[in-house]
Amino acid sequence: MIGINRNLGFDRYSGLYLWASLIIVFSIWQPRLFPTSATVHSVAANRAVAAVLALGVMIPLIGGVFDLAIGATANLATLSAVLLITNGHSIAVAVIVAILIGALIGAINGFIVVRLRVGSFIATLGMASVLAAVQIIVTGNSQPRSPSNSTWTALTQTKVLGFQIVVLYMLIIAAVLWWGLRHTPAGRYLYAIGSSPEAARLSGVRVDFYTWMSLIASGTLAGIAGVLYASLSGPSLSYGPALLLPAFAAVFLGSTQFSPGRYNVWGSILAIYVLATGVKGLQLVTDVVWLDLMFSGGALIAAVAVAGGRQRAGAEAKRRELVRQEDHHDRSSMGEPSAPAGEDGSAALST
Amino acid sequence: MQAADMSTPGALGPSVSTSALRIESLTKTFVGGRALDGVDLNIAPGEIHALLGENGSGKSTLIKVLAGYHRPDPGSLLQIGGLDLEVGSAHSSHALGARFVHQDLGLVESASISDNLAFGPGFPTKWGTIRSRRTRLRATAALEQMELDLDPGALIESLSPAQKTGVAVARALMADSVPDSGQPAGDVQLLVLDEPTARLPDSEVEHLLEIVRTVADRGIGVLYVTHRLDEVFQIAERASVLRDGVKVASEPVAGLTRDALLHHLLGAALEQPHRLNIADESSSAAGQPKATLSVDRLTSDVLTDVSFEVFPGEVVGVAGITGSGRDALCATIFGARARDEGTVHIRSEILPARRPDLAMSRDVAYVPAERKLQGCFLDLSARENISIANLRDFWRVPLLSRTKETAITKRWFERLGVRPREAIGQPLSSFSGGNQQKVVFGKWFQRVPVMFLLDEPTQGVDVGAKAELHSALFDAAQEGAAILMSSSDVDELVTVCDRVIVMRSGRIADTLHGDQINVHSITRSALGMAGDVVEPGSESANAVAS
Repeated sequence: MIGINRNLGFDRYSGLYLWASLIIVFSIWQPRLFPTSATVHSVAANRAVAAVLALGVMIPLIGGVFDLAIGATANLATLSAVLLITNGHSIAVAVIVAILIGALIGAINGFIVVRLRVGSFIATLGMASVLAAVQIIVTGNSQPRSPSNSTWTALTQTKVLGFQIVVLYMLIIAAVLWWGLRHTPAGRYLYAIGSSPEAARLSGVRVDFYTWMSLIASGTLAGIAGVLYASLSGPSLSYGPALLLPAFAAVFLGSTQFSPGRYNVWGSILAIYVLATGVKGLQLVTDVVWLDLMFSGGALIAAVAVAGGRQRAGAEAKRRELVRQEDHHDRSSMGEPSAPAGEDGSAALST
Repeated sequence: MQAADMSTPGALGPSVSTSALRIESLTKTFVGGRALDGVDLNIAPGEIHALLGENGSGKSTLIKVLAGYHRPDPGSLLQIGGLDLEVGSAHSSHALGARFVHQDLGLVESASISDNLAFGPGFPTKWGTIRSRRTRLRATAALEQMELDLDPGALIESLSPAQKTGVAVARALMADSVPDSGQPAGDVQLLVLDEPTARLPDSEVEHLLEIVRTVADRGIGVLYVTHRLDEVFQIAERASVLRDGVKVASEPVAGLTRDALLHHLLGAALEQPHRLNIADESSSAAGQPKATLSVDRLTSDVLTDVSFEVFPGEVVGVAGITGSGRDALCATIFGARARDEGTVHIRSEILPARRPDLAMSRDVAYVPAERKLQGCFLDLSARENISIANLRDFWRVPLLSRTKETAITKRWFERLGVRPREAIGQPLSSFSGGNQQKVVFGKWFQRVPVMFLLDEPTQGVDVGAKAELHSALFDAAQEGAAILMSSSDVDELVTVCDRVIVMRSGRIADTLHGDQINVHSITRSALGMAGDVVEPGSESANAVAS
């Protein structure tokens, strides 16, 4: 992660280059279908909910906590909103209650992780299953009718500059999170906790509090994503869990972009749309239905391999560096400053 | 004592005439300096040879050359068991029969002894299935050879620290492919033990020494690296001392005194000038000043009834061997570790247990010993590491002031001499250990604490950086901060402290003032030596450990 400034950004902006080349390739391949405003608008809107979910996954992940229940939470929020509206409640009530359900689930996850000291992976995996059960109880396992209410669909489908407004919502959420994570103490604390919880605690950071808050935030975002999905696409019994994996794929891929080594907002958004562009382009070329799944899964594995490989390369460079320093210390006990530590590490990293 | 029993080294060895280890004019030059300069060393089979030296004296380079990790300069002669070591080849080192046991034993805690012993040489199998009986027999044989009375099925985590070291030694001595006879490693010539007792409590040391004697009795030469002087007298036949890469002594232990050994170790330039005695000034000026830190009957899993006070401007050292409670005191006061009983006051405010955030709000700073795990954030930038403990000061709604953060980081880089100076935005992992530690100090200094709690404050820091950190601490003390510093580096305590608290078995054993603060009396007190040499595994220590 050192010295990346020096190599023209091929590394930290590789996603942008990839995106550009995908667009160029498909524009040449499918000149009539691909480079159209309709394609741009539909890709942007279709992936907005996934992007919000990815951001939800990202927040606890920064603090080193997994939220695997986020897909199930979003799904439950979708169905709750729809059921509330079809049962005669106002849209405002439906939206607020659905989002609160998400926040509540996040709070329960936080309780399990922070107070009961259950590993987040297990805790939220279990919660996902519990939520799936709750969903069946609530819906009787039959898909509710779509609310025939134009205000409800207009909530996300109103056009702004040709885009459905859900894209704007997503960008606003992203901007707020970018601010919160990059420019406020809370965000900094979260990164510190992810780096070393013990060091954070000994630096006065309230580790439990922020861990809990991060899970509430992810639950809330899942609630919002659920509402957006309900308004955009109508009720579905199974879309949520299916979005979990693409969300993680995007966040891991995103951590290789812009601020390599850190989960970050714009990296995650970029990853979502690079993958979407690839899938869309291929869908225009062929009509197989498994592309999206194949792409998300492959991308997740590739992303973690790349990020992990980078970490290993970093660790290896660091080890060599440490050995050199020990030699250095062995050699002369007088404190001549050790060689600029970044040099070697960066060389190894950027190769 | 034990050395007398060993007066016939080699009698049990494979060959009386050849040395287990022979080093002649070993020189190792790194870019810009010499780590080792013309070192000679000879270890007979069955001899236990102590190697001493300050940090940075070249010990670890020597070990790494032996292990084939470093390639020495041409002209150096290295023989193991009478055969030339192919320099820079770990394979050759192993093939010639050199074995190494490092401080980090590398055992799998959750696995059994016999499994651990099989991980290296491989499990005996039939049709790809582990032959458990044979694995077990082999382990039993290896343990018997070490005179370790242990059940091979026992899990490593259930063993005492000395027993673990014993298992690690047994593993090191096992042959690569064990013949069915269970005869381990006829070809091991040399065992290098790198500070095997550094992490052992007192009561365990004697057991470990027995294990080492057992190894030597088998005719294996032992190079025993240690910091503890009394072990040298208890176990070694000869001792060599390295200082600044040069071997300054290699003598039979029988003719050595502790003082002579210390003299070899530290050289003539023994002590840096002691600082101005600020504590005296402040205490005389203000009559009876109010204590900054008062600890009353503090008790935890490793501390018993510890009470003391630290006054403004005072630097108080905490000495004691590993396991004495020395390493837990600061952490327990700060709230990093749990406590059972007792109260801690900062000025007149009480410090609750397990609340580092509240301790910080009372202007207490804590530098933990485990820098990498507890002290810093390696993948955050130096700037973020410096500001993390008082982010509120940088919070200008709606943004964290990057400008102010950078300015303050720059100031502390400047002040503490952190290098490289322009790297404030780089991850902390790209800095050397000493510079990382300076950044950790910078984080606390800028909060202007009234109380510093420091665990091993200058570990892994070279001498120059050490002096810079000390002088920054003195400045803080001059401005009225109280400092409590726990260190395993007795020289550091001698150089820096106005008063030294010596811990033994979880209690305060002694408090040393003024002239009493010297390496000799601190070490004696820490080891509980009233007059005569006392075995470290005395009853009191055993009672506490059990």
